[in-house]
Amino acid sequence: MNKSFQFNLITAAIAGLLLSGCGDAETVIVEKETIAVEVEDDHNHDDDSFTIESMGRLAVLSAETNEAAIFDLDEGDLLDTFSLTHDDNTLTASAGFRFAVVASRSQDYVGFVDGGLWRENHDIHLHDYQQMPVINSFELSGSRPTHIVKHDDQMVLFFDGDADSGVSASVQVVKDTDISNEISEVPSLEYNINMHGVAKPQGEHLLATVRRDDTDNTSVAKILPDQVGVYHLHDNEYIQEEILDVTCPDLHGAAQNTEYVLFGCSDGVLVASQHNGEYSSEKIANIDELDSLRIGTLYSHEESDSFIGIASAHGGNTAILVSVNPEASEMEKLEWQPENNASPVSYGFSYEGEHFLILDSKGKLNILSSHEHDGEMHWELEESIDISQEDISTMPEGMRFSMAMAQNGHYVYVSDPIANHILQINLENMSIEDDIEMNFAAKSIVWLGIAEEGHDHD
Amino acid sequence: MNKTLRISALIGLLLPTSAMAQSINGEVKNSDGKAVAGATVRVEGTDTKTITNKNGHFVFHDLIPGKNELHISASGFAHLHQNIILSKDEVKTLTMVLTRSPIEVIDIVATPIHMSIMESASPVSVLAGDVLRRQQASTLGDSLEKLPGVQSNFHGNVASTPIIRGLSGPRVLITQNGLDVSDVSRVGPDHSVASEVSTAQQIEVLRGPATLFYGSGAVGGVINVVDGRVPIDSNTRGEWLLENNSVDDRKLASFNLTTGTESFGFYADGYWRESNDYEVPVEAEVEHEEGDGDKFVVENSAEKSQGLTLGTSYLFDNGYMGISVEQFNREYGIPGHAHGDEDEQSESVFADLEQTRVQLLGEFNFEGEWLKKVQLRSGFTDYKHAEIEDGEIGTLFENKTQEIKLDVIHNFLSDWNGGISFHFKSSEVSAQGEEAFTPPSEAETIALALIEEKYFGEVLLQFGARIEYVTLKADNVLLPILDAHAHEEEEEHDDHTGEHQDDEVSITRTFAVEHEFTPVSFSAGLVWDFTPSYNIGLSISRSERAPSASELLSFGPHIGTGTYEIGALFALDEEYDERLIGLSKEVIDLETANNVDLTLRKTQGDVAFVLNAFYNQVDNYYYQNFSGLYAESGHEHEGDEHEEDEHSSELPVYSFQTDDVILYGFEAQVAWQITNTFKTTVFSDYVNARLKDGDYLSRTPPLRFGSQFSYENEQLSAHVNITRYQDQNHISDYESATEGYTLIDANVSYDIQVLNHDIDLYLKASNLTDTEARVHTSFIKDIAPRPGRSIAIGVRGYF
Repeated sequence: MNKSFQFNLITAAIAGLLLSGCGDAETVIVEKETIAVEVEDDHNHDDDSFTIESMGRLAVLSAETNEAAIFDLDEGDLLDTFSLTHDDNTLTASAGFRFAVVASRSQDYVGFVDGGLWRENHDIHLHDYQQMPVINSFELSGSRPTHIVKHDDQMVLFFDGDADSGVSASVQVVKDTDISNEISEVPSLEYNINMHGVAKPQGEHLLATVRRDDTDNTSVAKILPDQVGVYHLHDNEYIQEEILDVTCPDLHGAAQNTEYVLFGCSDGVLVASQHNGEYSSEKIANIDELDSLRIGTLYSHEESDSFIGIASAHGGNTAILVSVNPEASEMEKLEWQPENNASPVSYGFSYEGEHFLILDSKGKLNILSSHEHDGEMHWELEESIDISQEDISTMPEGMRFSMAMAQNGHYVYVSDPIANHILQINLENMSIEDDIEMNFAAKSIVWLGIAEEGHDHD
Repeated sequence: MNKTLRISALIGLLLPTSAMAQSINGEVKNSDGKAVAGATVRVEGTDTKTITNKNGHFVFHDLIPGKNELHISASGFAHLHQNIILSKDEVKTLTMVLTRSPIEVIDIVATPIHMSIMESASPVSVLAGDVLRRQQASTLGDSLEKLPGVQSNFHGNVASTPIIRGLSGPRVLITQNGLDVSDVSRVGPDHSVASEVSTAQQIEVLRGPATLFYGSGAVGGVINVVDGRVPIDSNTRGEWLLENNSVDDRKLASFNLTTGTESFGFYADGYWRESNDYEVPVEAEVEHEEGDGDKFVVENSAEKSQGLTLGTSYLFDNGYMGISVEQFNREYGIPGHAHGDEDEQSESVFADLEQTRVQLLGEFNFEGEWLKKVQLRSGFTDYKHAEIEDGEIGTLFENKTQEIKLDVIHNFLSDWNGGISFHFKSSEVSAQGEEAFTPPSEAETIALALIEEKYFGEVLLQFGARIEYVTLKADNVLLPILDAHAHEEEEEHDDHTGEHQDDEVSITRTFAVEHEFTPVSFSAGLVWDFTPSYNIGLSISRSERAPSASELLSFGPHIGTGTYEIGALFALDEEYDERLIGLSKEVIDLETANNVDLTLRKTQGDVAFVLNAFYNQVDNYYYQNFSGLYAESGHEHEGDEHEEDEHSSELPVYSFQTDDVILYGFEAQVAWQITNTFKTTVFSDYVNARLKDGDYLSRTPPLRFGSQFSYENEQLSAHVNITRYQDQNHISDYESATEGYTLIDANVSYDIQVLNHDIDLYLKASNLTDTEARVHTSFIKDIAPRPGRSIAIGVRGYF
């Protein structure tokens, strides 16, 4: 009796142990005060020790809703989506590619989405930051924000103004740090007339269009300016210093590289340059091949001597591409021209300027490369990539393909609103490498991230 | 086994003159009917034991009425296990027949239930006697590596530790007389085990989870080094040894001695060993500059160590109680841990370790109705291990441990044999200095275990369960902002190297961390004597392990492994910045091993074998994974003007993470006693260790097989071992494949009797073919191959 009782005790003990089953683990962590020590730093510093290796991010404006999405290009993940205040938006990137700039021309509104990837110069090293994207509370207001261009670290917004309500045009210039610091006083230029103009930053200077009285204005469309003024920044205000000699009737479109700023005029291209603080100007006349068309859009790349001009009739399907070399004062029609039934929807220089890309309405990405012949640059078609497997005729009304160039590598991203995806194309081997699936159609896309070199487009 | 036992009344024997209590008169014979002298006859569960005289006779008086379990063992024979029922005042006369076993069977001493290579549900091996002396090396790992299922992580002859079935580090517990060895060998392959083989009596290896007996550190296995430091009797006996080895000019002297009076036992052992850098057949480093000369050595592999242990015990009728003190010093170079260029005077880094170990051991036998025996083991160790660079202490590791184990063994309860074990262990571990990759922490374990066994006819059932409460506290866990970066890109950045002398702020986050774990383990096994001379063992277990401080809290450069280690508490914050390290979001959980072991044995006859197969699924296995980043080692080298390689002081960052792992494999051992003097043995072992998703684990031992031919007569013995290590191509992403090799060892010994003293003269030759042998399991395989051909000459005496 006794024995069986003892045995039961043992079995009970075993059962108890088994019943308590799997083990338990508990961890309590209390963070204490952080120790900060000034250290005599005699370590070797490699600049890349604070830098981040990332493909960057992509801001995508939805064609369906008033939303913008930010995708991570390393993993292809959707990081976040943001509801935008207005419906009718355009999208571009800030000068440092940190912010997506959302402008609504009809609503006189410019807002910013912080892409979350940026670089700061800490003097002893470059310090990169990687955070989740957030909508920024900083806003710019002005009448009819239209042309937004950037050069070096400055972004220039040209507000056209509105004749109907009697609001004059203005220019506002912001850097990425101004946006993140949400500065209250934005350097600006106030006109006393409205115009569909453009301005190009030159450090403390600004080359901005000037609309004269309609009587003096040589432009056919009087809303277009015909002069370029040189402005200088004083106390957050750009003051006119001079007006360039050469006029530019029906001025539309501008681009710049390190030496020259070009403006499109009905009779040619106005070339402005600065030598020893003095601005000079000249005109490269339209060539015959343009056949009554004028150059209304210009593209440039910091490292390219050759600008690309697009001549097209307003709203027309035909476009003629020319290269403009301000150094040699030459204009030349490109060998390659868009096909008749395929109108270009997006243009751009690649990351290091060695390619010029034309995306057309047929879903073809045409990649031109520059080649030197007898000391002259020529652009030749290197590759055409079909970026869409879809039936192009099913392109929804009002939508089109869109393109964004990476600023840290040889990649271009193309959105396809029929397939609802974004393709990643490697320009080194001219192949489609990856895609990002989306559940909406993109209206336009913009690359954000840490640019490896200063670049300028438009 | 019943069937092999013949019990017959021996009419011719004299009856004892006084038969006041229950007694057994016995005679032990071999199968040819010849007496077996020197066999040990033990009454299970008690300290009652005797040795047969030259006629094979033994006598037990004062046995308890009822069941007495006799256990008879003799060298070269299978153990015999028999239950004898004695009625009150009965005197039984028995003859027991032992059958030959070509596989040496030695019982494990440290477990409350009976375990040996032939008789337990889970696999064990024991090295003792001549075999132990033949295989002993400077390090524990190299001494045990000839056992099936055990390989060495060969760390340049100086710090090798054993790997059991592919597991090592914190999963293999190393104990001295059942108590934690309490060094820092579990956290770094370059840290030597603070235990000495040359003075040990036997070394027991439990392959597979042995958490029931030893606690949650033993999820992979246990190595128990046994010596007689607390004597359990006062019979005078001793052993001494002198040896010189050619490959590293190693000189070894060791002794142990037990003596005493009727009620006091005294013990002393000591050893002294010194060696130079060892020679290798080829240039030690795989990547070497074209050199001249034909003599190659592994630089910085010299060793010098000595130890002395004194013990005494009080012997009383029902047990003993004793205490011992050991002082242990070891200085050794750490190969691959040298800095600077060869032409400069290179800084050699060496380790200086020192340990004081106090053990208090005792046993009390009760004649109560329930209680049979209480066994106490307790210990205190104070361990220090300095890594010295340029004559200065670089890092100082310290481990202070207190431990108490109390086993309460009960009398047979419904034929169940077993007991309850209480266990308490507390250790303070710290590492200060450059290599302070683990912050100071305190760990405490309280455990309760139950182990029982019972014979059901031909089946022995063994089972047990253990519950622990483990706490791990660290008040100052430091998380510096790590300046880590990837290397993929071409180094295009501006060369700002060394230009900046600006002051900078170093930010270190500090945490107080407290972990509480409740690991629960249980196992069940059986041994079935399904036909005479054969048995099958089956063991299943589920063991839980609390992760160790180094696996959780590490953050810093670990020069021994050449890595920057980050514990599982931390993780790269991928959302914010892929190189910013913050607290991990993963829950810190127990590691769980689910193990099945199947053993088939032929226990006696001219041919015997033991075949084991195992399958071990370890969930939440803590292991290190390369993060793709590199960090500064923190080493400063004054006067080091070499800037050839700007990454020279950088270490790859490895972070601990968890995944499910599956290990399976086998061990096989077949021995054939060809004649009375010739024997041959073949063995093989294999383990496949991989993550569940398919990637292999690092440094897994390769397939191995080998054979031993031996000749032994009364005076001369000769052994030749041939061991083949196959190529290891099952590798992780962060290691390279390793070529296989064949090692041939041989030894001859000649025994002479001088007075009452046995003296053995021996010659030991290892790596006879002088082959280049790089050990896949070694962290430094590319800079330290195994030693080349070596001849050792020695003399050993015992009395």
